[in-house]
Amino acid sequence: MNKLTKVAGRTIMWAFLLLTAVLTLFPILMTLTGSLKTGAEMMTGGTLWPSKLQFANYAEAWKQANFARYTWNSAFVSVMVTIGTLLVAAMAAYVVDRRTFPGKSLYVMVQASMMFISVGAIVLRPQFEMMVALHLNTTLWGVILILISAHSSTFFMLLGFFKAIPRELDEAAMVDGSGFARTFFRIILPLLAPGLGVAGLFAFRHAWNEYILPLVFTMTNPQLQTLTVGLANLRYGASAAMQIHLMMAGACLSILPMLIVYMVANKSFIQVTAGSVKG
Amino acid sequence: MSMKWKRLGENVWFLSPSIVLTAALGVYPLIWMLRYMFYDYAGYGEPLFIGLDNFQRLMRDGQFWESVGQTFVYAGGKLVLTLPVSLLLAVFLNGKLRGAGLLRGIYFVPTIISTAVISVVFYTIFNAYNGMVNTVLMKLHLIGQPIDWLGPKYAMLTVILVAVWGAVGNYMLLFLAGLQGIPQDLYESASIDGASASRRLWSITLPMLAPVAQLVIMLAIIASLKGYESIMLITEGGPIGKTEVMYLYLYKLLFPVSTGSPVEQQLGYGSAVGFATAVIVGAITGLYFLLSRKMNKMY
Amino acid sequence: MQKKWVGLSLALVLALVIAGCSGNSGTNGTSNTGTGNGGDTNNAATNTGNNNATPDTPAGEPVQLKYWTDDRHDQEYIKELVDEFNATNEDNIQVELTVMSENYTQSVDIAFSSNQAPDVLRLKSGNTPDFFKKGYLAPIDAYMTDALNEKFGNLLLDGVNRFGGKVYSLPNTGLTLRLVYNKDLFAKAGIESPPASLQEMVDDAKAITEMGKSKGIYGFALNYKSPKSAFDRSVREILSLSGHQGLGFDLKTGQFDFAPYGQIIEYFKQMYEDGSFLPGAESLDIDPLRAQFAAGKIGMYLSFSTEPGVYTDQFPTDINWGGALAPSLDGEIKGTSEIVSAGTWLGISAQSANPEAAFKFMQYMYGDEILTTYHEKGFGIAIVPSIVEQAGDPDIAGMEGFLVGEHDSLWPVSPTVTPEGPGYADAYFKYMIEGGDVGAIAEDLNTRYNAALASAIEKGEVSVTPMPDFDPANPQGE
Repeated sequence: MNKLTKVAGRTIMWAFLLLTAVLTLFPILMTLTGSLKTGAEMMTGGTLWPSKLQFANYAEAWKQANFARYTWNSAFVSVMVTIGTLLVAAMAAYVVDRRTFPGKSLYVMVQASMMFISVGAIVLRPQFEMMVALHLNTTLWGVILILISAHSSTFFMLLGFFKAIPRELDEAAMVDGSGFARTFFRIILPLLAPGLGVAGLFAFRHAWNEYILPLVFTMTNPQLQTLTVGLANLRYGASAAMQIHLMMAGACLSILPMLIVYMVANKSFIQVTAGSVKG
Repeated sequence: MSMKWKRLGENVWFLSPSIVLTAALGVYPLIWMLRYMFYDYAGYGEPLFIGLDNFQRLMRDGQFWESVGQTFVYAGGKLVLTLPVSLLLAVFLNGKLRGAGLLRGIYFVPTIISTAVISVVFYTIFNAYNGMVNTVLMKLHLIGQPIDWLGPKYAMLTVILVAVWGAVGNYMLLFLAGLQGIPQDLYESASIDGASASRRLWSITLPMLAPVAQLVIMLAIIASLKGYESIMLITEGGPIGKTEVMYLYLYKLLFPVSTGSPVEQQLGYGSAVGFATAVIVGAITGLYFLLSRKMNKMY
Repeated sequence: MQKKWVGLSLALVLALVIAGCSGNSGTNGTSNTGTGNGGDTNNAATNTGNNNATPDTPAGEPVQLKYWTDDRHDQEYIKELVDEFNATNEDNIQVELTVMSENYTQSVDIAFSSNQAPDVLRLKSGNTPDFFKKGYLAPIDAYMTDALNEKFGNLLLDGVNRFGGKVYSLPNTGLTLRLVYNKDLFAKAGIESPPASLQEMVDDAKAITEMGKSKGIYGFALNYKSPKSAFDRSVREILSLSGHQGLGFDLKTGQFDFAPYGQIIEYFKQMYEDGSFLPGAESLDIDPLRAQFAAGKIGMYLSFSTEPGVYTDQFPTDINWGGALAPSLDGEIKGTSEIVSAGTWLGISAQSANPEAAFKFMQYMYGDEILTTYHEKGFGIAIVPSIVEQAGDPDIAGMEGFLVGEHDSLWPVSPTVTPEGPGYADAYFKYMIEGGDVGAIAEDLNTRYNAALASAIEKGEVSVTPMPDFDPANPQGE
């Protein structure tokens, strides 16, 4: 009897796990097969598999639908945001963790409330005005700076990691005559590498997938569009008719870099989340 | 004395990038909003001070309050489906299971895909007339007639399913991290006592997971109240406003989507709506915070 | 405690410094784009003066012009024209064409608020009054030659391309609106001719659906993902043919009156209840709709005269289809089918640093040969008399049904206002699906639209003159 319930339990468990896996993969599979169909096949629908694999869709998406340009823009934004966010947040977290200074609790409180106050798209207007004032609205730097400015979650994540680095290390370095900045960049930052890795992955993922901010900021400069914006605009058929097959190919192209990053960093992702929950 | 100034200088230079960016692009927009919510401002010309008119309008704005209600449905539906599924997945994968790594990888894939990108895909596969979802369901003989997934009846369900699809992997991972913090010897002694699997789940896993779960649920609540990107791309809040959530309503006041003819940007009223949404989300988060503290005391 | 205050004030100071900076720039921006309220022309003049202070391009350095459009159906041809202009003009002008998508008006707004406005803009009658109101446009009176005046003179209309006595754009083509129908499906369902009344349309849609439902064929569809876009290409035409202004405005009283609108919607509602709509029409975009029509799955829909071009270039189709005059309310034609988007084509930005060069380009685009070819290629239907005389009929499959006939004419302009609450299209789309009290909906819309109209008039943003003698059968009053 006991054995029977155990078998039944295991069956239910596996059924659940496999069903979830199938449902998870279904849209991705559809994107993949869709990207290999002809436009007409996509439009009429009704078939699961492409009648003939259209690998040319990828070449066409890359060249004709401007995906080379979009990919470059996305990569540029994501890399800059990752570097910027890590640097800004790590420097602040280091000072906050190691020192006391006037206004520290206020600073921490503001950073914390940045994570919880959400007023939606209304912030885009003042942010845009500011970028116009700084003459950064015609470049991607505006988008990059705004994304970096939202570094509070990275800040708290790194704060947790700093706490794990013993203070004696800094003190020893100081005694050896190393300055504050030098100690930070030469000694502490390398020790922070695992934390930076995870936080960096999060920042990269966030920047790579961001949609609304670049959408609004690149409305007047289509050549600055990122992958997400360019891809979503394909549904209006900006280049010709709505080309779902190219859109699907583009979607696969946009997923690929993150998939590689993820596979390389599979282990760290798990650690990060563990760290962020505990921290 | 000079040592003190040196330290202060160091603090300033390490903190200033963060402070300048946060003040300029995080705090200043809030101040901007707090100012303009008292103005009639369409984005050109001189803003006109109108006192509390925007808030009076907000009170009688049926569309907005409907969208607030729909936000609760959307967020509630997403949470009710996401949390149990992701918790179950985490519990199952936490055991010594063959293929756990692969499965975990599969479940996690949606979280690395851009919401915008996959939403565009979902719009095409949920189509009533040629979408793959109907095709597959009909081939499996689960349905006889195509279902109008994006029609007034099912659109909300569809956007919730899309949201769940994108979120399960993330929360699974968070729960998994929490589960791995539970000491193994608790389970071992329970096994010796002869406790069944379900019993172990109820009396060890869930209570031990509670602190992490509280945090995770808080994150989930905020995230689900805030989400509107995928709805914007799948239904644009339609049909007949059935999937309009409050942040989407706000977005449309500022950037009217998909209309050929111009609609005025309503920055003043938008500021008032933005303020109201922040208050609503803040109130719910606060309420949850209080409730979970009460629960803690009950233990 | 004291420390906290120091920190707080530091943050405040920072925020204020930044607020101050951007505040200044904000006012700069607005003064650049004109203060609205009709003072635009002055402003535009000073503005161009300012910009000319930056030295006019030295020889060798080309004058760069930005040209924005949201027309996609003609983009290949326009690209050719721009390339040709760039290669041949003797004034060293280089035009850069940008084709925008649905976000066009938002993009223009953003561009003007951030000093990256295009020099030449595509103007449609729907957005021109708004652009003028916001001070985006420069008058072109100073550049008008006698020849131009003769060619376009009697087509300049207040509230369309002329505001406050100044001219801002010139007409090229208009679009007719028609019922687009699949002749094969009509024949298969045993229907002889396209519907003349709404009741016939309802019956035909039902008949086609009954005939084809098992094969996924349905009688009717519209792109309801954007109800406004769907109704402005269907109800608008049915209304104007039936003798009412198509956007809910009553030209005789100069007020909004949505009662006739509701009458039309009743028939749409009937089709919806009959199940004659393509499933999923509630969330359909226009391009997927066209794709389904091209695949022979839709009996009929209503749309602009751009459709023939679309089915030639973008959705090539084997089906036998055509355009026919839209049905009217009761089968009797009491008005005329409105030719839309007719009074304007290109305009010059008030922020342009090189308005003369921009006008040179504009003059090139408005040349006889280009306007004639534009018509003959079927991108739009010529309304400039001298062009109509010399242009041949467009040689595109399906275009026959869209040509201007005895029942087509231009209508006086109706004001665009932004009411509080849902617009007419959303309100009626909701009624179509969920039902309700159609009379109360009209009442509510009338109240809100007329309030918005009154407030816009008060602000001086629009002006309305009632036309008690207006005759819908002869809207131009000739």
